[in-house]
Amino acid sequence: MIEIKNLNVSVEENKILNNLSLTVKTGEVHAITGPNGSGKSTIAHTLAGNPNYIVESGSVNFNNKNLLEMEPTERSLEGLFLAFQYPIEIPGVSNASYLRQILNSHRKHQGLEPIDAAEFLKLLKEKSALLKMPMEMHSRFVNSGFSGGEKKKNEVLQMDLLNPKLIIMDETDSGLDVDALKLTADVVNQMRSEKRSLIIVTHYLRLLEYIKPDYVHIFQNGQIIESGDHTLASRIDKEGYE
Amino acid sequence: MNKNISSIAFKDNNLIIKNSSNSIKIEKSINFDKDNELHIDVSPADQTQRIVLDVDTHDDETFNLKIFLKINENAKLEFLDESTYKGNSNFELITKLEKNACLESYKLNKFNKNKINNFYHDCSLLESSSFKDYIFSNGSKENLNRTTINLNDINSSYLGSGVAISDSTNSNNVVEIRHNAKSSTSDCFFKTVARGNSTISFDGTIFVDNHCSKTISNQVSKGLLIGKESKINLVPKLEIYNDDVQCSHGAASGQPDAKTLFYLTSRGISKTEAEDLYIKGFLSEFFDTIDNAQMMTKAKEYISLNN
Repeated sequence: MIEIKNLNVSVEENKILNNLSLTVKTGEVHAITGPNGSGKSTIAHTLAGNPNYIVESGSVNFNNKNLLEMEPTERSLEGLFLAFQYPIEIPGVSNASYLRQILNSHRKHQGLEPIDAAEFLKLLKEKSALLKMPMEMHSRFVNSGFSGGEKKKNEVLQMDLLNPKLIIMDETDSGLDVDALKLTADVVNQMRSEKRSLIIVTHYLRLLEYIKPDYVHIFQNGQIIESGDHTLASRIDKEGYE
Repeated sequence: MNKNISSIAFKDNNLIIKNSSNSIKIEKSINFDKDNELHIDVSPADQTQRIVLDVDTHDDETFNLKIFLKINENAKLEFLDESTYKGNSNFELITKLEKNACLESYKLNKFNKNKINNFYHDCSLLESSSFKDYIFSNGSKENLNRTTINLNDINSSYLGSGVAISDSTNSNNVVEIRHNAKSSTSDCFFKTVARGNSTISFDGTIFVDNHCSKTISNQVSKGLLIGKESKINLVPKLEIYNDDVQCSHGAASGQPDAKTLFYLTSRGISKTEAEDLYIKGFLSEFFDTIDNAQMMTKAKEYISLNN
């Protein structure tokens, strides 16, 4: 699915990722954890194509394509989805029309007709119900006035609607209460399949109790310093990163 | 022409008058003199009366029009100009609002980017009269919108909003609001989106005379630079000669927020579509000021077509 080799990334001339290499095969779930400032979010944003993150060297192969040559739009259309740690508010644009627009962009890329209003409403109701999101939220502006938890649910809803091949969740668990965390984990577990990969970036390890990863990586100074299976998360939870 | 007119429209030099039941009948043709000067007197009616100006000018001639509009005591009028000016144009509007008169004006014009188009509006308001003014423009080679508001009597009010959406066109917007009587209010709101190598300017003056206590006046201008070569100049000016007033002004311009554009493109929409959504959000604040649902729809359509 995705192969990262010797990746070096800087932000505002500060080197964040140091020679990072990581391979995520199709169907695998990887968790990346580590202390504050270790570069966890940098890997998420670099893969999604955030122009603030400058790739100095290295390569990223995504389904046999050079990911680093693609614009963020193309990365998304090719099946990469980043759930933001801090989702952006877009005043003046209703959530429903926004969701329909992004869905139709993907449908167009797949050679499908735009989804009609009635069919979209049905789909939106079905997906929102899974996350216990009231439909009223979709007549509000995108993320505007949403609580932290509502914003995160809206990220997971977009993820579910767009049906990506590779999901990168950047601290999606932060700001969620226990019930919302469980709901989010349920949706993610439902999306888990042999054809889809996940990279879960998390500062806290509670989410990993619900979504058992195949691999856990500990980040420090922009590098993976230790990898293991899901039991590594339990160990860190007890002993810390030191 | 001053009794119970619900609307007037010009088409092929004919004056079209709509009666109150909204059916259309052509009452007479007008042969404009060379100055195209027209005097309209509006008297009170059971319902709001409306003037519709919908001309489609030729690109090889200059269209000149001057309208003197008097809105008598207690009369209400909607003025809608949806003209397409393919050629040069000079439109001068002189309005007088008597006591308790109301005017709502909507200009949703389309201009040719190679032409010169001027609009001058001088409006005087008497006691408790009110004027709501909405001007939409897509700019042209030289596009001037100059509005002078004279709040000449107690409790007169002005709400003015302008939107200039340009794509390698220019637009010069000048609004002067003169508070010449006490307890008058004004609210002026200007937004512009500049694409390509457009140059947009807004020059807004609030003048409060020394005897005009209890004046309330606010002015906000905001610009969004989409084109790398585009320029926006926002110049707010206050001339206040009385201490017992509430006045404010603010001006801000800049490029779209990079984080927002990245968020949108990371969802699979193109950069252009992301910018369009951003602009939609930027201008949406403007719609909150339009009470009239039909006009709000027209305004949204205008922005959608010119965005």
